[in-house]
Amino acid sequence: MTTNAQTPQTPQTPTKLYFEDVEIGDAIPKLTKSSVTHLQLVRYAGASGDFNPLHTDPKIGEMIGTGGIIAHGMLIMGFVGQMLSDYVGPTALRKFGVRFKGMTHLDDVITCTGSITAKYEEDGIGYISGKATAADQNGDVKVTATFTAMLPHRS
Amino acid sequence: MFDKSKIGQSFPPFTIEVERGKIRELAIAVGDDNPVYQSREAAQAAGYDDVPLFPTSPTTFAFWGNSKMVGQLASLGINVMGILHGEEEYEYLAPIHPGDTLTGVLTLVDGKTRQSQNGSSMDILTTQVDYTNQHGEPVLHAREVIIVRG
Repeated sequence: MTTNAQTPQTPQTPTKLYFEDVEIGDAIPKLTKSSVTHLQLVRYAGASGDFNPLHTDPKIGEMIGTGGIIAHGMLIMGFVGQMLSDYVGPTALRKFGVRFKGMTHLDDVITCTGSITAKYEEDGIGYISGKATAADQNGDVKVTATFTAMLPHRS
Repeated sequence: MFDKSKIGQSFPPFTIEVERGKIRELAIAVGDDNPVYQSREAAQAAGYDDVPLFPTSPTTFAFWGNSKMVGQLASLGINVMGILHGEEEYEYLAPIHPGDTLTGVLTLVDGKTRQSQNGSSMDILTTQVDYTNQHGEPVLHAREVIIVRG
């Protein structure tokens, strides 16, 4: 599902992913985000409640030595979350975790990629597990992720 | 160095109401314009009961729900201005809907101090918030590893 093409006024039924549709090794459709902007970090600070000035005040970044404003790590986790939500659907995730590996700066373009590493059933319910990465335009990794999702069976 | 005697300590619970608008706000900030996060009508048109949680919505529960969080972290004996986020993991145990009232309990699950050769130290702390809903059902675990340089 390419969410960039949708508008809030156009409800769509998403293409549902079924347990039978997935194989170990499958690539998750990648997500390339627009470059990170100062306005986005201001919006993200307000939305998340994380008002650490490192993410919104250029002076603080210069002072601390991060080379200017850095994005909230959780924003990048959000990017990976968007990719997973597009792939398995908004209510399928059962576990989602990340390790923060690198700092993201303004103008960075982050691409999220991932693949399926496991597929199994427990009590008749189908699960998949996978891993994902968010990296910038130079290939520098910002976040590594793992997830488990519950997928329905085709009836 | 953090206070090792606090490992296993839980703080008093906090509550937060899950809000549709907050889910939408976070999705927009991340840049996800999937209609299901925007309105109940769009979510229902797509087959959901109501607006589903965005995958990282749990971050809003702690920041907006636990007004005492900074003080609680400081009471563990760390410099809260020096916190770096190491890891974050969510385990979604049961559906969470707009209108639910969640109760969260923050616990210091584990911690260690690493010394480097030059004498500087680094605390690595694992915290977890366990959330239950208004029916007392466990709905979410939010686990975090934070790194604090001494």
